[in-house]
Amino acid sequence: MLSIPILLTIAWLLPLGSFLAILFWAPRLGKHGSAAGLLATVAIAASFVCALAAASLWFTKYPIPSAESHHPPYGASGSQPHSQDTRLADPSARESASAPGLWTQGKAASKTQGPSQLILWNAPSDRSGSTERSSRPDQASRVSPRHELANSPTREPLGPVPLLTGDWYVLAEFGHLRLTLGYYIDTLTILMVLMVTLVATLIHIYSLGYMHEELHPEVSDQEILAGDPPQPIRRPGRFARFFQYLSLFCFSMLGLVLANNLFMIFIFWELVGICSYLLIGFYLERPQAVRAASKAFIVNRVGDFGMLVGLAAWWGAAGTFHFADSPRSLGLFSRVAQAELDHNRTGQVVSPGIREQPSGQVVNNPDYPERPVAYGLLVLGGLGVFCGCVGKSAQFPLHVWLPDAMEGPTPVSALIHAATMVAAGVYLVGRFYPAFPPEVLLVVAVVGLASLLLAGMMALAATEIKRVLAFSTISQLGLMMFALGVGGWTAGLFHLLTHAFFKALLFLGAGSVIHCVGTGDMGQMGGLVRKIPWTAGTMLVGCLAIAGAGIPPWVGLSGFHSKDAVLAQAYLLMNYIPGIGHLLFSLALIGAAMTAFYMFRLWYLVFWGRPRSLDQLHHAHESPPVMVVPLVVLSVFAIIAGWRLPGLGWGIAPALEQARPISFISGQWWPWWVVPPEAESHQDSIHVVVSWLAFTAAAVGFVLATLFYGTGLFRLPSGVGVLNGLVLLLQRRFFIDELYQRLFVAPALHLASWAALIDRKIIDNLAEKLAAAVVAVANSGDLLDRKVVDGSLVGLGQGIYGLGRQLRQVQTGLLRQYLLAVVVGTIVIFVLVQFL
Amino acid sequence: MQQLAEALTSPFVILSAIVFLPLLGALTVAVAPRLTEEETKIFSLWITILVLILVLWLAIPGAVDGRLGSLPWDQGRVQYGFSVGWIEAFGVYYFLGLDGINFPLVLLTALLGPLAMLASFGIDRQVRAYCALFLLLHAGMLGVFISLDLFLFYVFWEVVLLPMYFLIGVWGGPRKEYAAIKFFLFTLAGSVLMLVAILLLYFYSDLRLLNEVSLRACQIDPAVLSGKRGQAVHTFNMLALAELARLPQSPFDQDFWGLPVSVWIFWLLMIGFLIKLPAVPLHTWLPDAHVEAPTPISMLLAGVLLKMGGYGILRLCYTICPDAAYQFAWPICAVALVSMVYGALAAMAQSDFKRLVAYSSVSHMGYVLLGLAAWTIVPGDPSSRHYWTMGMSGAVYQMIAHGITSAGMFFLVGVVYDRVHHRDLSQFGGLFNRMPFYSAVSLIIFFAAMGLPGLCGFIGEFFVVVASWRFYPGVAMVAASVVILTAGYILWTVARVFFGPQYRGPHPEALTDMTVREKWVAIPLAVTAVILGIYPKLLLGYFQPSVTRTVYHLATWADRHLETSTTATGPQAKPLGETKFVPSQISSAASLSQTSPGLAHPSLPHGGPARPDGSKNSSTETDGASAPSPLAEGSTVTGQRPEGVLDQAIVRPGADQPKGTGLVEGRR
Repeated sequence: MLSIPILLTIAWLLPLGSFLAILFWAPRLGKHGSAAGLLATVAIAASFVCALAAASLWFTKYPIPSAESHHPPYGASGSQPHSQDTRLADPSARESASAPGLWTQGKAASKTQGPSQLILWNAPSDRSGSTERSSRPDQASRVSPRHELANSPTREPLGPVPLLTGDWYVLAEFGHLRLTLGYYIDTLTILMVLMVTLVATLIHIYSLGYMHEELHPEVSDQEILAGDPPQPIRRPGRFARFFQYLSLFCFSMLGLVLANNLFMIFIFWELVGICSYLLIGFYLERPQAVRAASKAFIVNRVGDFGMLVGLAAWWGAAGTFHFADSPRSLGLFSRVAQAELDHNRTGQVVSPGIREQPSGQVVNNPDYPERPVAYGLLVLGGLGVFCGCVGKSAQFPLHVWLPDAMEGPTPVSALIHAATMVAAGVYLVGRFYPAFPPEVLLVVAVVGLASLLLAGMMALAATEIKRVLAFSTISQLGLMMFALGVGGWTAGLFHLLTHAFFKALLFLGAGSVIHCVGTGDMGQMGGLVRKIPWTAGTMLVGCLAIAGAGIPPWVGLSGFHSKDAVLAQAYLLMNYIPGIGHLLFSLALIGAAMTAFYMFRLWYLVFWGRPRSLDQLHHAHESPPVMVVPLVVLSVFAIIAGWRLPGLGWGIAPALEQARPISFISGQWWPWWVVPPEAESHQDSIHVVVSWLAFTAAAVGFVLATLFYGTGLFRLPSGVGVLNGLVLLLQRRFFIDELYQRLFVAPALHLASWAALIDRKIIDNLAEKLAAAVVAVANSGDLLDRKVVDGSLVGLGQGIYGLGRQLRQVQTGLLRQYLLAVVVGTIVIFVLVQFL
Repeated sequence: MQQLAEALTSPFVILSAIVFLPLLGALTVAVAPRLTEEETKIFSLWITILVLILVLWLAIPGAVDGRLGSLPWDQGRVQYGFSVGWIEAFGVYYFLGLDGINFPLVLLTALLGPLAMLASFGIDRQVRAYCALFLLLHAGMLGVFISLDLFLFYVFWEVVLLPMYFLIGVWGGPRKEYAAIKFFLFTLAGSVLMLVAILLLYFYSDLRLLNEVSLRACQIDPAVLSGKRGQAVHTFNMLALAELARLPQSPFDQDFWGLPVSVWIFWLLMIGFLIKLPAVPLHTWLPDAHVEAPTPISMLLAGVLLKMGGYGILRLCYTICPDAAYQFAWPICAVALVSMVYGALAAMAQSDFKRLVAYSSVSHMGYVLLGLAAWTIVPGDPSSRHYWTMGMSGAVYQMIAHGITSAGMFFLVGVVYDRVHHRDLSQFGGLFNRMPFYSAVSLIIFFAAMGLPGLCGFIGEFFVVVASWRFYPGVAMVAASVVILTAGYILWTVARVFFGPQYRGPHPEALTDMTVREKWVAIPLAVTAVILGIYPKLLLGYFQPSVTRTVYHLATWADRHLETSTTATGPQAKPLGETKFVPSQISSAASLSQTSPGLAHPSLPHGGPARPDGSKNSSTETDGASAPSPLAEGSTVTGQRPEGVLDQAIVRPGADQPKGTGLVEGRR
């Protein structure tokens, strides 16, 4: 029986199989490894099919809520949590779920029975609480804002979140501490797996064409000249190796998405990092590629350092990495909720091993002898995990690696550095959302906004086509982070999914352009629309999608819907926290306008106007169909990904609603900071206003770009010092790289050389001095031996000799004297023996 | 016939064979005149392979007791050993035994032996002497890990020292004399301190304090006590010394020059082991020795010899001197952190490939020290000890993982050195295209050393870092920051050696890919690195019960001695007062037949979460024991905690009973 977990497990393992097959049999896979590409593509396509099957099973079992309401929470139509029983798949889970509650714990099959299934039903703890919604922040802060969310009149009481989780296998076990690999499947997982496998499949197909050159036994790399006279370096083609890495990446990414605990996330977090390293450095002859690869990995490691600290904090505080409860212990989310509960019942300390269920009965849980989690640790743990996300998602201040990462082949940039891996940071924030206290969410929002604006500005001045897209990626990821930070869980993840399609499309389009003209420098392009119409057309769709084009407030490309959702949440913040909310919202709007501007700048520079380099234009030709077809498919998704299925109302956003976390933490430190409930942002009043505002912002950006780059009516005045300085500042990325070089890299290298110096000059010196001292002592001992000891011995010998000579005089030969001597001697001895 | 088979598979024969086969081989090589150089090498290789086969045979579940599906190691105590008199007048015994703590290291040594021997096939000077010394070294290393008698341990410790000195000094690089002398002096200084500590231990020990059951558990015939009513009976028995240290009135608590003698012992031993580990600032012998030693000797030096330090700390310092371990947890952790950071920084500054790898060893062994030293036990909080169990397991795991990766890295450096005769990192580059197979294996090994998940280095590092949070969060943070530095120097090295446009050094024509022989060395290491990375339970299964047991003993010690700090939290923290602990038994085949065949009954489910069998045993013992306060801790634990790794480690109560009935009689 192919259940959902098994299907997804197969989808996860297929790329691993492809990786291993290519690893071991690469030379035998067709001519120069040509079959390797096919193998990897088939594997990931099969993964996609499995994911599709799993998704269809999932959505039959847990259908997306119907369309009549604009934004119904899952289970609202059924309205009563008692209807859970009908949806439960696993009978063993049913009995435990019959007592709905915050920590209702499913009974999983024992671990000997293979992957166990556990359905966890999360429900708010207090259904009969106050229904009065306060829009005043100061009041709201006293009750948890998300408590309030659960009870707000705009929503029905929240239904349960459908969830499948279980462990694949245990890596290590220390008492109640368990490290396992396992799956955690909810709608978010399903959607992510679908997105990753779909985008990856298309990019695999595209790569078959794009990497075609690597099929030759010998490739000459025009970018590296060596030897005398300088010639392009010749190297063996690495077609199979490319697909090998891609397969490993897909495996790691799917593992990351499926993970049911932080430990497993960390494992695959690092693995996608190393795949990214290998693929950025794919052209390993190019020093800049190798440098970029190392930089990417090390900057990511800085983030991982924070994540490791966060993990250690969680481990020390909660003793578990699992998100959901298991039959053996509570999961992190429940622990957090427990901490929340402990704080609310001030003074009531829950003694170790005992926990109280909402229904009031006290359960003795010997597996769980833990202390309550302190609030400071919650914040620290949350910040640590977010630090990892900052690194992976290239957010400010760890964004420096992503632009350099464009040294890798373009399909890699599309798959890893735009659509999937860099989105993993956003995904993890979304996944770990219930454990983030509001203080951490504020940090998330601020970091996201900073990235949105800074990267957007950098994109304004970039001249390399892939760099513009890289900055745009950072910027859009910042927008997602911002959305999550201000409470827009669905909005942020919705944008993540739509962004994956149109950003992959844009990158692949850029790759197609580079493939055609042989350079990424936009200064040498222009007027390509007639030469490569398919690429130009699909890229236009991508630009429109990312800019958020549409007919407000009804319909638009995918970016229109998702960006709307984000901005609506920011708009809502204005109602809650007037001053700061206004600031954040307007900054986000500016970010949206910048997005439209730089994207159309790119499009005009590449495809419009007069060609700036006739030479390039002359050689330009449309890409082969194997590259164009993925472009077309992706542009279709870029258009429709935000839509709802007419009649049924199915779509990504409502599906995500189904998985929205319901547990919550109320802030302890900053009472003014309130995370507004997302449901309110769906109100029509907000929706209409925001969609018009967003549209206007995008239109402003578009019009400006058209004026400056499309029509040539306006030009940036050259020679103005301020402007030149500004452009330089943006092109050098605010000198942040240089700053890091000065602040961190150089001191680290200095420290390193000091360490080596200390070793040589001080410690070794000391040891050698010590040895020399010992030798000196030995020498003086030798002297002592010869002069004193030897001397005394010699003296003794001489003395004895002298004594003998003197004694000889005593030897008279006279018997009497001898006898006398014997007698006297005997008496002396006798006396001595007697008295001593 | 069956008797013969039993005799051949007795611990005496097997363990002696493991230690003395290489020794015999060394003698044979030294005196046999007829062997050519090639034959000598092959003969030595076969000796080491034979040892490996013997050790692997022990590793197979059920190989020893004939029952399939039951690891003999799941009891946590010395499972397989024997003791016969040697210099009985001074309490010196020929006492060999295996438990979870030394067995993985024996396994590592036995694995690296043939690989290093295979790597030695390039040696062309004085081959016979080389092989003899190599085998002598091999015997010494195995002996250090297997022997459970301190005197024997010390003898083997010194046996390791001498051949190593000659192997570096004769077959080494340009500065071999300097390096060899340096190595010799540092290690000798350490072993002199150790000797003092061993003598202190010997003269302060008194077997009369132990009862009959404990004595038997330590493989000591109680008859040694007879007729010596007046004087103390000293011992070198490591297990007995640990037992003595666990007594409520430990003989090592006596005063000696103003401090408890255990503090002296702890520091004397600790410094000796820190030199070996090595820890900053006692580490400078290591880079020189590594750089000058020939490749296979570097492999053994990094792979095995450094572990002797970690092993000694775990086996002696922490089991015999828990009070000092508790008191000085902070200084030791500080040394560990300094080693980790300093080693990584120093590695980053090196331009010599081999020196870089040597410094990375300093950094990596810091994790071992940290994992051992980060004392997380809070009296009265039974969950706290799991963190130390995790950290200590991480330390042991890191020892094995480092043994694999560092041996691998030194070998890989040796491979290119053999071809181009230099190790200057700035003159490499572009090896990826010239030596693809070599580069692939190198990436695996180097990434394993970097602690990439899925490879062996990750497990130990992660365990240690995450577990040390409970000791002190700042420690975990510093430890975590080392991952950045590690990535820095490893990736930089990879970039400088394997990537880049082309090779920049001399002899580019010599850069051919690995030979078959080299592949036979590299592939086992890479495969082991991968297997240990994805299935850590394979190794954890051997040592985790023993580590759990060690931590359990430390925890009971803490519960007893640190009770002042435990005002709150329930019955667990009650002082255990007069309750005396009977250690668990050695259930070697020999002792098994004397005492109780059911004692080490290995048919208990291995490592399963619920162990009704185990808890039932404990409770029946508790009932059977008529002592007034039968081990509050033990009964609480068994009552409350069904998941039972700890249950095996529960020390049996009832020691004070006159008849000496422990578990043994109870089960009959």
